[in-house]
Amino acid sequence: MSELTQIGSINERPRIPTRDEVELNFSDKAITELEALKTHYPELKACILPTLWIAQREYGGFLSGEAIAEVAYRLQRSYAEVEGVATFYSMYNTAHKPGKHKIELCTCLSCHLCGTYRLRDFLKEKLGIGHGETTADGLFTVEEVECLDACDRAPVIQVGDTYHGPVDEGYLSKLIDDLRANPESTVVKMADEMVKVHIRASER
Amino acid sequence: MAAAVQIETVNITINDIEIAVPKGELIVEAVKRLGLEIPIFCYHPRMKPVGMCRMCIVEVGFKQPDGTVRKMPKPQAACTLPASEGMAVYTDTEMVHRDRKGVLEFLLINHPLDCPICDRGGECPLQNNTLFYGPSTSRYVELKRHAPKAFPLSKYVTLDLERCIQCGRCVRFTEEISGDSELAFRFRGANMQPSTFELRDFESKFSGNVIEICPVGALTSAKYRFRARPWDLETKPAVCTVCSNGCNVWFDYRVGKMVRINGRTNEGVNEEWTCDKGKFGHEFYNSEDRLLTPLVREGDQLVPTDWARVYSDVIRAFANGGDKVAALGGAANSNEDVFMLNRLMTGIFGTKNLDHRFERNLVTGVGEKLGVSEVQSTIASLEDAPSMLVFGTSLADELPIVFLRVRKAWFKNGAKVVVAHHAPTDADSFAEVILRYKEGTEAAVASGLLSLLVSAGKAQVPAATADAIKPFTPEHVEQLSGVPAEKLRVAAELLEGAPIITTRSMYNQASGVDALEALAGLAMVTNGKFNCYSLQANAEGATLLGTKEGMHTHQILNAAAAGELKALWLVNVDPFALYPDRELVQQALENVEFLAVQGTVASEAMHYASVVLPQCAPAEMDGTYTNVERRVQRMRPVLKPKGSTKPGWNIFSEIAVRLRPATPFFNPGEVMAEIAKENPAFEGATYDKLPAEGFVIR
Ligand code: SF4
Ligand code: FES
Ligand code: FES
Repeated sequence: MSELTQIGSINERPRIPTRDEVELNFSDKAITELEALKTHYPELKACILPTLWIAQREYGGFLSGEAIAEVAYRLQRSYAEVEGVATFYSMYNTAHKPGKHKIELCTCLSCHLCGTYRLRDFLKEKLGIGHGETTADGLFTVEEVECLDACDRAPVIQVGDTYHGPVDEGYLSKLIDDLRANPESTVVKMADEMVKVHIRASER
Repeated sequence: MAAAVQIETVNITINDIEIAVPKGELIVEAVKRLGLEIPIFCYHPRMKPVGMCRMCIVEVGFKQPDGTVRKMPKPQAACTLPASEGMAVYTDTEMVHRDRKGVLEFLLINHPLDCPICDRGGECPLQNNTLFYGPSTSRYVELKRHAPKAFPLSKYVTLDLERCIQCGRCVRFTEEISGDSELAFRFRGANMQPSTFELRDFESKFSGNVIEICPVGALTSAKYRFRARPWDLETKPAVCTVCSNGCNVWFDYRVGKMVRINGRTNEGVNEEWTCDKGKFGHEFYNSEDRLLTPLVREGDQLVPTDWARVYSDVIRAFANGGDKVAALGGAANSNEDVFMLNRLMTGIFGTKNLDHRFERNLVTGVGEKLGVSEVQSTIASLEDAPSMLVFGTSLADELPIVFLRVRKAWFKNGAKVVVAHHAPTDADSFAEVILRYKEGTEAAVASGLLSLLVSAGKAQVPAATADAIKPFTPEHVEQLSGVPAEKLRVAAELLEGAPIITTRSMYNQASGVDALEALAGLAMVTNGKFNCYSLQANAEGATLLGTKEGMHTHQILNAAAAGELKALWLVNVDPFALYPDRELVQQALENVEFLAVQGTVASEAMHYASVVLPQCAPAEMDGTYTNVERRVQRMRPVLKPKGSTKPGWNIFSEIAVRLRPATPFFNPGEVMAEIAKENPAFEGATYDKLPAEGFVIR
């Protein structure tokens, strides 16, 4: 071997899913976005991350096996590879279907010191759920996460694409009532916002 | 092929020893030139480097103008570091030793250290590297990560996730070598796991290889799990006889029983890979259905007897049989076997009714008709072809190792592969053009391709042929076969001078023979290479050493069914499994007066047998096999013959000697010497001179 071969050479092309193996559920809007996306990069491989965001939105906030399969098919990558990428990142919901709203509690040092665990106990009492759990009505999911990079506002929580902090029990209680009244899923909205980051308004 | 090229070299030092190496050679490879070895886990010479495990770190510096060496502050991974001018590599410094210890300590933090019950214990790179370079104790006292201990990835591969060191070799194998991309890493950090999409079955035709390349005991063979410790196994080189590729394998056995099959390197054939059919297809060695003693029919029973009785029955039925006797099979037997069978049938019994082919169309072979060889490319030569045509075969199923080569040609060298078949195949995933035709229209597609090349002036054909193929314009071919005219044009562009790969299963297709003729013609007139590869272990040998003068398989079976045959000999073949027309086989076996069935394991045909001659399995005897590219490879006996089984050549020679006393051959080496004398293809092929990697008949 006299020539250095590096991973990701032009010849890399995995076995791709075939049409009869997958169910396609992307809306027309999603397909337009995907087509625009494809023009941004020289290789389809590079589209995996933004396309997973599209899928997360299209599939109601959850990247199920079918969603991953659809992404793999549309980008001509192997199933396993796309699933590997999706499960690597914690902002993709791959483990289980989240509720309509995902309340992410920062448990890193600053927030911890400022009382995250008090908030966690409060949520447990109020909603009856702990880390990684979803309420029976499918409205809320609670997750403990690592530093949200907003230590100046500790304790911080993230709901959808919005940061709240500093937060106390009163605030949280009000927030939950607001969320209950909110017909839109903040999880889906978050995915949509992420898609917008990737695709210019003119392309949508 | 490329002529010898001037390789650009660079001067580097390794542990202060000066050496010139090809520019860009990875340091992990370069040190081997000095007989040194750098410990590795994730690096594999046949796959792209990824630098995931950090086991291979070395200290690196560069020569300064004043002659001193300035070292980089941090160690470098030798597996991703290309050699460049003035590089100074140190593999044996204090820092390297300390860092290797550190890497191993990290790798072992979550490793269960269950070597005493691990299949890999004794042949484990992790164990070895830890012994040579690692710390003797661990400072980690916290709880280890726990994960499933025996997750069945497929019916062949069992994953022990706790042992995985996340080197990515298995993942890269499925992406780079086998191409099915079935495996990927899911999750991250300590939870990272190599697995399939949604933990579905690991469906690969080559999954067994990941067991061998996994540097720890994470991927284990479901068949071999807990069956032996490596040091209890004896191992000998062997050749796989499951299909015609002739892969080189290690045959591991214990107290006379086959335990497992591992890949053995032969750059010309299988490199180091095996397919699942071969790796897990040797179970029959230990099968309960093995034929161990000669059997003779008494009423509706087959009862054990001795060889003398069986021989005298066979002789009574076959001697002076002339046209009234026949033999079928032999394509799975060694060259020595088929040679002696041929001698017995033609020389002693006086019949030329001998055939090993079971395809639907048994007209004279296309190669013979056109006067060209049906095997013109070696497996290794496919790697360098800029383009090729895979026609009418699901290559990964029929010839898995040829498939890997074709894929490698594309993956490494960007070869443009045209795949023509009536159904989807594994080769589609890397095909440049896919010609999907309606089953039965092979000839139209092949003629269409030839016609395009001729009309483009790239090839000249005799006037008669030109007229015959003229109607096959792309548009007409599209009508007939459903292959878009445009695709056919693109394909034809690529095929000038390209190797053509097809298999003998084409002879099963209605229009297969015409298609083969067109393809052979295409190769001939464009200076390409025509290959109609055979599918059984020694089908090539049987063709070279057999006779084509007597009746062929159809005629033999028809004659037998009509009660015109006195005796029929099935040599290591079950026509029920191979012949397309079951009815005819049944009638033939019922109506022939005397049926001798020779074989290794019980088969359906045995129910009709007058006598059964137990033959030993390939690895139980000495012999040579001629593989798909006509490479003659010798397999020495690995195991002792079971029961009173005998090698095929011995059976034939013992019968011959009873009829015509002569000094018999005492061993297959003598038979080979005789073959070499008689058959020009095998000229000079004595056992002493046979190279370890075999030789290719041209
Ligand atoms: S299973 Fe084996 S080959 Fe695969 S990543 Fe783990 S250690 Fe490497
Ligand atoms: S610790 Fe909570 S935002 Fe940094
Ligand atoms: S062998 Fe070089 S990093 Fe693994």
